[in-house]
Formats: sequence, C-alpha cells, structure tokens
Amino acid sequence: MSLFSWLLPRKKPSLNPAQQQRLAQLTAPAGLNEHTLRAQRWVVVDLETSGLDLNRDQVLSIGAMVIEDGAIDLGQAFERTLLRTDNPLSPSVLLHGLGPSAIAAGCDPVDALLDFMAFVGDSPLLAFHAPFDQHMLGRALKDSLGYRLQHPFMDVAALAPMLCPQVNVREAGLDYWIKHFNLQVEDRHNASADALATAELALILFSRLRAQGIDSPHALQQRLNQWQRRKQVHSF
Amino acid sequence: MLQNIHGTMQFLQRFPPFNQMENAHLAFLVEQCQLRFYGPGESIIRPADGPVEHFYIVKQGRVVGERTHLGRDVAETTFEITAGECFPLAALLGERATRTEHRAAEDTFCLQLNKAAFIKLFALSEEFRDFALRGVSSLLDKVNQQVQQKAVETLGTQYSLNTRLGELAMRHPVTCSPHTALREAVRLMHEQQVGSIVIVNEDKAPLGIFTLRDLRHVVADGIHDFDQAIDAHMTSEPFYLSPDHSAFDAAIAMTERHIAHVCLVKEQRLCGVVSERDLFSLQRVDLVHLARTIRHAPRLDTLINLRGEIGQLVERMLAHGASSTQITHIITLLNDHTVCRVIELVLAERGDPGVPFTWLCFGSEGRREQTLHTDQDNGILFEAKDATQAAEIRQRLLPIAQHINTHLAACGFTLCKGNIMAGNPDLCLSHAEWARRFAAFIREATPENLLGSSIYFDLRVVWGDEQGCQQLRRGILQQVADNRLFQRMMADNALRHRPPVGRFREFVLERKGGDKATLDLKVQGLTPFVDGARLLALAHGVEAINTLERLRQLIPLGVIEPLDGAAYEEAYHFIQQTRMQQHQLQTRQNRPYSNRVDPDNLNQLDRRILREALRQAQRLQSSLALRYQL
Repeated sequence: MSLFSWLLPRKKPSLNPAQQQRLAQLTAPAGLNEHTLRAQRWVVVDLETSGLDLNRDQVLSIGAMVIEDGAIDLGQAFERTLLRTDNPLSPSVLLHGLGPSAIAAGCDPVDALLDFMAFVGDSPLLAFHAPFDQHMLGRALKDSLGYRLQHPFMDVAALAPMLCPQVNVREAGLDYWIKHFNLQVEDRHNASADALATAELALILFSRLRAQGIDSPHALQQRLNQWQRRKQVHSF
Repeated sequence: MLQNIHGTMQFLQRFPPFNQMENAHLAFLVEQCQLRFYGPGESIIRPADGPVEHFYIVKQGRVVGERTHLGRDVAETTFEITAGECFPLAALLGERATRTEHRAAEDTFCLQLNKAAFIKLFALSEEFRDFALRGVSSLLDKVNQQVQQKAVETLGTQYSLNTRLGELAMRHPVTCSPHTALREAVRLMHEQQVGSIVIVNEDKAPLGIFTLRDLRHVVADGIHDFDQAIDAHMTSEPFYLSPDHSAFDAAIAMTERHIAHVCLVKEQRLCGVVSERDLFSLQRVDLVHLARTIRHAPRLDTLINLRGEIGQLVERMLAHGASSTQITHIITLLNDHTVCRVIELVLAERGDPGVPFTWLCFGSEGRREQTLHTDQDNGILFEAKDATQAAEIRQRLLPIAQHINTHLAACGFTLCKGNIMAGNPDLCLSHAEWARRFAAFIREATPENLLGSSIYFDLRVVWGDEQGCQQLRRGILQQVADNRLFQRMMADNALRHRPPVGRFREFVLERKGGDKATLDLKVQGLTPFVDGARLLALAHGVEAINTLERLRQLIPLGVIEPLDGAAYEEAYHFIQQTRMQQHQLQTRQNRPYSNRVDPDNLNQLDRRILREALRQAQRLQSSLALRYQL
C-alpha cells in the first residue's frame, strides 16, 4: 500500500442490487421530539472495535437494545458480529473477547450494517462515550455502504455526572456507574451486555431527570449542552 | 440465542419456579418482557389502576406492598418483594385490581410481562402454572421435598416413611374362610412362612385376622381341639388402611393400637398385609418395638434408659425425611406411653389409692406439639360429691402424684418451673373444682388468668377416663363462645409476640448481650400461630387441641379462608421443621438447646421462606386485630 493511498479517491463500496435497494429504503433520523421522554424510542448501542484508533480500527460487533415506552424491550435486541477477514489479532482481543474464529463466523459487514440501520429506524441513539461509537459507526457506514450517519447521539457518560453531581470522579467509566447503581450485569465487555447495562443506566438517569422536571428529549439535549458548556468554562 | 436474553434467563434460573421451567418457555417469557425502572417511592401498581394488566418479576431492588386502612393516614407495609420474586399473582389470576399498592422501596428494576403473554405462558408451562396457582405455598413444598431428598441421599436409601403401603406389601396375603379349621389355617401360615392369616368372606372382605400371638393364646388356654373353626379365635374387624396410606400411617397405627399387622383394603377387598417386620426392614425405625418396650418396662431404670433411644429414633426419622408434624406426633405418642407406664409403675409400687383419677396434660403436651426437650405440664382430675370429699381424695392422691412427677423428671421430663404439676394441690382437683377454676379464667380476664387459659385450655387426657375432661372442654367452649370480652382479651394476648419481620429490612432481630442478632423460632414464629388458632378454635366451638388440626377445622366453618389456612399450615410446618433441625444440630455439637436462630446461617432459599412464613404469622395476627378491632 502506498504512503499516499489516502489521497487517492476512495474506493466505491460494491453493493449487490438487493443491498442497494435496502440502502435506499433506510429512514432518515427524525430528530429529538418535544414529547415526553417516555414517548421517545431510543436505540442504545455499544460497539466492540479492534482498538481505540479512530482512523484505523474497525467495528467488530454491534450490540443494541431499544428503550420504548419508557422500558427496555427485551424482545427487540440487536446483536451482530461482523466478518473481518483482514483483521490481525490485536491485544484488544483480550478486552472484547472476540477471537478470530468468532469474527470469521460473523456476517457480511454490509448486511450487518444494513440490518442495524433498519433496526435503528429514525430513532436517536444513546451510547456510553457516544462520540467514539458515533465516529466508528459513521466511518464503518461510510466505508461499507457509502452512507452518511446523521442520527443524533446522546452521551450517557456525560448525562450521568450531570445528574449525579455528588459523584466526584473524573472520567468515570461504565464500570464505575454499574457499581455506583449496583447494576447486575451478567457478562461485561460484550457489546450486547454493555448495551443493556448502558440502557439500564439510561433508565435510571431518565427517572432522575423527570424528578427534576425535565421530561422531553429536546429539553434534555438543551440541558446537557448547557451543562457541558458550563463545565468547559469552569475548566478554563 | 441473543446474549441478553440468555443472560436474563440465567438470572431467572437462580429462582423458583424459573429454575424448573423448560428453556423454551423461559426464553419465551424473557423475550416478551420489558425491563422497567422505578425510583425510590415510585408506585408500580395501585388499586386505582383497575384490573391488573401485567405480571412483574423483581430483577433488582425491593418492592413493598402498602395498604392504607380507612381512618388512618399511615400506610402499613404488608410485604416485601425482592430479587427473583413475582407479583401480583392473585390479582392477575383473579382479573381484578390489586388490593395493595406496590411501591419501589429503592432503585428497582422489574421485568414486566403483559397479560396476554402471561396467559400464554400459563398455558404452556406446567411448572409456571403450578407456581402461579399456589403462590408461596409451592415454594414451601419445594423446600420440604429438598429436605427429604437430602436425607434420602445421605442415607442411600430410596425409601422413606412416605412410601405407599401398596408398594411395601409385595406378596399376596395369605387368607382363609371363617369355617377353616384352626389346624388348616396354622398349616397355611407355616407353609407360607408368614406371621398372620386374614379371614375373608366370599367377596374377599376381611372379617378377622389370626396371628402368631393369637396362636400363643390358643395354646396357653389349653385348647386341644384344633379342628375348631378359626372364626372363634380370630381378632374380628381387623384394623385396616388403604394401599395409598403411607408407611408412617402404618407405623403410627401399630404404635397406637399395639398391633403388629395392618390389613390393606381397597374397595372393601383385602389386597395385602403389612407387618411390623416389613416396616423395620424398610427403615430400621424401631418405633413399634420401642413403644412396646416402654409400655412393658418392668422398672423405672428401664424407662430412663429408653429415653436415649427416643432421641436416636427421632434423629433417624428426621434423617429419613419425616416431617416435623410426623415427628412431634411420634414424640407425643412415645411420651404418652412413658407417662402411662410411669403411672402404672408408681401405682404398682405404692398401691392403688382406691379412687379413679385421670391424668391430664396441658400446653404443648396437650396440643401434641412436643419436641425432645420438654417440661411437665400436668394435673389430675377426679370425681367427688362435695368439697369435703374432694379434699379427702386430694390428700390421698397428692403423694402419688408427687411421686409420679419425680419419676417423670428422672425420665427426662423436666420439672415445671411454674409448678404446673399434678403434685401441686392447686392442680389436683375434682371435676367441680376444675370447672370453677376455668370459669373464673373466662370471667375475670386478669393477665395471670389469660396466661393460665393459654396453658390450661389446651388440655388432654393421657391416662384414665376421658369423659370428665370432655365435659370440661365443652364447658370451656360454651363459655368462651358467649364471652366476647374474653375473646378480645385473648386476641390482645395473641398479638404480644410480633413476628420479627419489619418494614424495611428482612428481619428485625434482637441483640442479646454481646451475641449476634437472632430471632426466636418458638416465641416469635410458632406462638403467634398457636395463640391465634387457640383463640379462633375456642371462640368457634372447635374441640381439636392440636394447632394444625384447629386451623384445618376452622376452614369448613368459614372462619379461615382455605387458601389462608393452607398457607398458615405450611408456614407453621416450616418454622417447626427449622427449629427441629436446629435442635438436632445442637445435640450433635453438644450445645444446649436453643430456639434462637441467626438467619444469616440459613441458605438463601430457607431464609426467604422463613421470612415468608413469618409474614404468614403476621397476616394471621392482622386478621385477629381486624376481627377484634384491636
């Protein structure tokens, strides 16, 4: 591979006609509504990637749960391992636990991503450290489908400290919050289980929000933006 | 299967009934579930919501049930539900609103299943259906089964006292007609190597039984004519059970009736005979033999030595999976035999006083609820024309009674600290004196009298004529039924010992001295049932004395709902079983007997069930409070 290959025009992803049709049918994001939190459908996502490099590492698996009608619907779960033939064994295999055999048994990334976007529909997404998932997913969608991800993401990792100001931990991770709320998680570091843990965390936070009188996704987004701005000001 | 479905299933499989359900059914349940969060104090379902639309399983956290009573503003916590437990079964099955507001007591996650899916699951899974229909009570059953299974495993035997008699009577019974010659019958017994022959009519209905013991009588009586028909020498109308009765029933019958053979009869036809030997080869539980040895003990020393054997017998029976009810029954039986024998021995030693008397027992002995460590609560009843004659008879009986008390003490019946013993002149009374005393209890409800009534009104005859005691009991029932004030005082008394389950914690424990916090299984667990059952029985003319028997008889009278009755019975049973297992453990470790238990030492399931059992005691108390407006 040449040193300047990134300057060359990006290779167009090759989709078969059926896949192209599915791509065309994907719905555009609806944006955050101004109804109640309960009326909003959310997709809570967690990705396992080959590493933490935003430009080089790849999405290996996607786990997602749905919050609808104010509850996690266990009947609507999404779980795919992506087939990555070109992925060398990296140290992060220890973390995500997806060995080469599991990845080799995965499904075509194009189909997996189409399935996922169909699953998401027009709903906003929730994730823990959302900017990372948003970026990795966006890049995967662009590379594999030529699709531009425009769905809004909300970061549970930012929401949690906003609603629990008494917690004085810088950069508290998902593990910290799981412990803080005494959540029972069966099998951590697997995209599905982490998505479920994140979803449970989100339900607790939504409940705290309602107690503070914030009861619409739109108001939530505003409040979060405000809080983050103020935090940045404080840190100067 | 999806990871999170699988994970949730694994979580549920730690709890009954989910651990018994088929995987496919459990997966169906989980896939239909929504996981909901409730913050502290948040209401989950309310009576005002109308007919219940969902079934809930607590995944994490704690749910409390709150009931507000008219005229009170503070809601009463009626129950607590924690991880793995479900609600509201009764309302869902009854297609009605819940009667209790369910609130989250802390951060709580519940799995919520909609009614349609619940109904489908109800139809699909037998285990789930069973559980839903029987609620907590099936949980209690599970534990009892576990206890027995464990005992059976350690003993390596597949038999238990609950074995059906039909399975024990392997061979065809040896029978003959009533006209068969004695010689012919004995020849048949000899050929078949059996100890008994049953005399039957043409329809195979048993008319009598002839055993080796009867043969001994025939020979001892000097009868030479062995061509006589057997019906002149048989025991007529032999005792029988159905093949569906248990080995325990047969053992009890043999002990009570001093017989060694029990006929098995189905649809009025003889279908087998179970002998003492059949039971022994099964269990080596030498119950019948022990009872007979007690009954024929020649001297006091023999009786004292036999005491140890009773302990061993109980140990073996508990190990064989006998229930607490069976064991208290057996202990009472053997104790009764011991008391009778002591009386007979004392009479033989000191000479008959020349006046008939009846030996009474009170309290737990009266209720047939004794455990191994027990003290004496007894008295004497005799007939007298007037006060002078009564005083005269008393003087004659007292030395004998005191002698019996000392002998009983030697046999392991601890002397009563409160001096409730026949040797006390206050407890050696004529019929009229007892009747007056009992009437005073009911008329003047002082604290002492109330305490007295809780002991003396559980009276029973151990030795002597039954009739006088029967009359006394009827008198009590009549007077209590007419005296609402006394009932109310008794109800108040029955509420003294509150079961140690609290609003917010699992158990409310007492800390005694520097000891770890514990609860008293007898006072805080059993006494509420005993007191409640006594009050309701006396107030409604129920003659039974045993607590479970009282509860059972109160059901057809409509005093207790059948479902409540069953729950009370199982709860009582479980607490008693826990208590006995603890006593046995203490004996094995050479520690003194104690009724105090540390819930932390119980396994998770036992702890949960103990909590639930104590809640049943609490429910019985609240029903009394409501009934008597306390």
